[in-house]
Amino acid sequence: MNQSLRFLIIIIPILILIFFTRVLLVDEDAQLATFEAKNFPTFELDDLNGRPVQSESLGGIKLINVWASWCITCLVEHPFLTKLSENNLDIIGLNYKDSDTRANAWLQKHGNPYLFSIYDPRGDLAFDLGVTGAPESYLLINNKVVGHIQGEMNQIKWENIFLPLIQKAQQR
Amino acid sequence: MAIKRFFTVIYFFIFSSFAFTQIVYEFENSLQEKRFYSLISEIRCPKCTSGSIASSDAPVSRDLKNKVYQLILEGSTDDEIKQYVSERFGTFSDYRPSLSGPNYFLWFGPFIFLAILLLIFFSKRRI
Repeated sequence: MNQSLRFLIIIIPILILIFFTRVLLVDEDAQLATFEAKNFPTFELDDLNGRPVQSESLGGIKLINVWASWCITCLVEHPFLTKLSENNLDIIGLNYKDSDTRANAWLQKHGNPYLFSIYDPRGDLAFDLGVTGAPESYLLINNKVVGHIQGEMNQIKWENIFLPLIQKAQQR
Repeated sequence: MAIKRFFTVIYFFIFSSFAFTQIVYEFENSLQEKRFYSLISEIRCPKCTSGSIASSDAPVSRDLKNKVYQLILEGSTDDEIKQYVSERFGTFSDYRPSLSGPNYFLWFGPFIFLAILLLIFFSKRRI
């Protein structure tokens, strides 16, 4: 009895220590990757040029980037998005709570890395996607939302969160 | 005359803030109102570290409050509204974790831990 008690006194704090170091040392960015895949919400919206967006255009591997002309951090991630699009990644913009004239002027001024941008002035589609602000990015594989990043998109987040998801999908 | 103008300016300073206060939600009955205020305190603000949408004025919290209001008027139940929100913003949005799956550990873990400690304590006394 005495011996098992001594054993417990040693082993319990060790187990607690292991448990909490494991919980606390999880990389927060990586945690966002544990995202439950869901279908892309249905919507009826136009793009920034006034053409209705077809849901077929969301097939394959697509990066959905939530942006707005009023969004300061969107400008920070813009060069990286441009680089991604130059490397043949399909990026679709989701213009969030913006005006189309201001949004188009923004694209004209800073360049347009998007195939097209869905114009969502009231933020309805964004709400159904679970957007909490701009910028945010979603990874879409065959019409399924498989990943979500809040805030600025950059090399580190791209390599650690979205790229593995793409590689996993391509292995199948 | 100058004093009158001075007080007019002061008057505008005092009352101008009321033009920016929150939207007033109007309900058909007091039960709806009660449900609204309890629901918005149970839905986590997705933009805050820790806080309900009731305590937050972030744009997304405002959208969420409007949506909850709209759903209540449309006759959705509390569970349906929570389901609606967590489908979009994840189970993280539920401020009071539901009693299901791994959450059992969350709810009862401390009691199990306490039981183990008491067991050790009393077994030690017997020696």
